[in-house]
Amino acid sequence: MEEFQTGEETTFVVDEISTIIKESVEGAIGGNAYQHSRVNQWSSNVVEQCLSQLTKLGKPFKYIVTCIIMQKNGAGLQTASSCFWDNSTDGSCTVRWENKSMYCIVSVFGLAL
Amino acid sequence: MGESGEMLDNSYVIRPNFQHKFKPATAKECIHQILKEELVSKQYDPEQVPALTRALSEAVKDKLKEMGYDRYKLVVQVVIGEQRGEGVKMAARCFWDADTDNYAQDIYMNEILLLHLPLLVLQSDPCW
Repeated sequence: MEEFQTGEETTFVVDEISTIIKESVEGAIGGNAYQHSRVNQWSSNVVEQCLSQLTKLGKPFKYIVTCIIMQKNGAGLQTASSCFWDNSTDGSCTVRWENKSMYCIVSVFGLAL
Repeated sequence: MGESGEMLDNSYVIRPNFQHKFKPATAKECIHQILKEELVSKQYDPEQVPALTRALSEAVKDKLKEMGYDRYKLVVQVVIGEQRGEGVKMAARCFWDADTDNYAQDIYMNEILLLHLPLLVLQSDPCW
């Protein structure tokens, strides 16, 4: 029986994912100020746009995308994640974006099939 | 051709049967216990919070591993924020197999801090 999967297709490439995330965030909320009434829609847009771009890559991966949007108020925020997976094929990428009124933190986890 | 090293027999089981399936309610209980123990009367201290978040995520991941989900991959995320009246929104979307994968989450608040802990569980196949 031969190997059907080559090494190139089934690893998580952080740079590519990071670019996709930045473009999605810019597209969804770039240039807007924090508005409580719109934040719901913004976070959904960011996440859905990221996910649809990721699935278009066509790689054999399961994806999890999370997005946190926080108003700039002087408060602190800390996130951490811990994962039990296969180090050679799975990976994660976190991008921190900000403008004058809010922070946006997007994490993408990719798990190979 | 088999992989070298691991001596696992083929079980030919592609999907988890009911006993081995991830149960969100049990996992949520388990997360809740850990949060209650660790965070009762903790303050938001910018020096200590990074270590606290990492320790919490490791603790939850280890506890989940003990529960016997050995054919699952786990992703645990911990978010701790300071309560100062700011607005925060968190969203997540997943692209997975809805039959076998699931998630559990818990939220803990006291006057000083707010903690949100989503836990995502995806099936893997270590024997391929």
